[in-house]
Amino acid sequence: MCHFPVRDRSHCQSGSDVGLWRTFHPTGWRSLNFRRIIVFRTTKASTLPVGRALSDTTTGPAWVKGLLSNDPGMLRSLYAEHFPTVRAMVLQNSGSANDAQDIFQEAIAVLWLSVKEGRIIPEVDPGGYLYRVAKNKWLDTVRSAAHKHMKVVHDERTLERPSDVPDDIEERIVRLRGVYEKLDDKCRTVLDRFYFERKDLSTIAEELGVEEESIRTIKYRCMMKLRAFRNVIRGEEHEV
Amino acid sequence: MSKAPLDKATFEAIEAYVLGRMSATERDAFEQRLVLEPDLRAELELGREHIRAVELGGLTRTLRTIAEQENASGSQGGSGWGRYIAYAASIALLVSVAIWWAARPPLNERLYAAHFTPDPGLPVAMSATDDHVFADAMVYYKEGRYGEAAQRWAPLLQQDPSNDTLLYYTAMVELVNGDAGSAMARLASVSDGSSTFKSRARWYLFLIHVKRNEIEQARALQLGTDTMYGERALRILSQLGE
Repeated sequence: MCHFPVRDRSHCQSGSDVGLWRTFHPTGWRSLNFRRIIVFRTTKASTLPVGRALSDTTTGPAWVKGLLSNDPGMLRSLYAEHFPTVRAMVLQNSGSANDAQDIFQEAIAVLWLSVKEGRIIPEVDPGGYLYRVAKNKWLDTVRSAAHKHMKVVHDERTLERPSDVPDDIEERIVRLRGVYEKLDDKCRTVLDRFYFERKDLSTIAEELGVEEESIRTIKYRCMMKLRAFRNVIRGEEHEV
Repeated sequence: MSKAPLDKATFEAIEAYVLGRMSATERDAFEQRLVLEPDLRAELELGREHIRAVELGGLTRTLRTIAEQENASGSQGGSGWGRYIAYAASIALLVSVAIWWAARPPLNERLYAAHFTPDPGLPVAMSATDDHVFADAMVYYKEGRYGEAAQRWAPLLQQDPSNDTLLYYTAMVELVNGDAGSAMARLASVSDGSSTFKSRARWYLFLIHVKRNEIEQARALQLGTDTMYGERALRILSQLGE
């Protein structure tokens, strides 16, 4: 997907691990449900302008490549480097260590999906981005009825969502999780290893002690189950 | 989008395209199909979303695992910079304790500091004394304004140099101000007579000797028999190794 911040959308071009289809948003980030699809031809990576969307696993900063390939080492590194700052912010604002863990994991998910969908520019500082997202989410929590008794120490922020965080991204995460929850454990075991861990069929078959063809069939059937819930992910009222 | 089942071959073609596992030739051919087949485009979008949902599930699971490991390592004494900071803090604390231990005052001075408190002063009844200058000075003394008290007592002491009350309280001010030498002379004068301040003067003399580490002189005062200060004096001497 080719989603650029409004200031950069004129650079929308093709070339990625997820295909050459690009979605252009004429009215910015709020137009997800009304977008039109335009097919662009492939351009060489070297011709892509600075500030392009991130979706190519062979270019960009290491943290971007790591997130695009679901590298657990990069996730661990981001956690170790940036969690302490978020933890301190949450603890200073009446939260617990567990609250900090939850908030940081949600922030990582937002960063990950933004990178996956090319909705973040490579020059962004991942630590600053995670902090802004986490802070925003925590302030939402603090403002909620259940936490009205909390005292917010650092409240100098603007109340608006950070400008570089797409405002529909959290809604998409909720919908994607809703779809994933439809899967049973057997499907999750196979699909996780194939799509998230990027293992090949023979490796998964060996790990699970079954034939490779069985894994192929399980994978197909499980994905067809998800297909049955396609309208859930699109937010439509009725399944087709 | 078609409601018909998606055949396995088309599904796997979409999957290979989304995961970037097609050759350039296969990709070009697939893209030509995409231009011509709207249903295939819709299936591609849907397949991409489903793969994203599975990836997000894997991400969530992985993050939980990392968090659990972080918590476990944290409960075992922290990790990374936190552990180094903890080590540094421990070392700094040990160094501070060592410096404090090496630089702390000797035992005799610490005992003096522990036991010395200025005499609380005499009660001053309003309008019940003819000596207003002395009474005013005593009020200053009791308020801790020792300099002002001494300033007012000085001319009185010049007029009556043997006055035990003036000698004693002037000595108190000198002790508070760290002038043990001057205080010692005045206290010795008081302790030699039959003053009501005699016992107290001897106690302060004893403390001055302790402070100066003049243990023999302190012991020579034989304060152990004093009903008021005997027990404390003996304890101090004991601590000093006497």
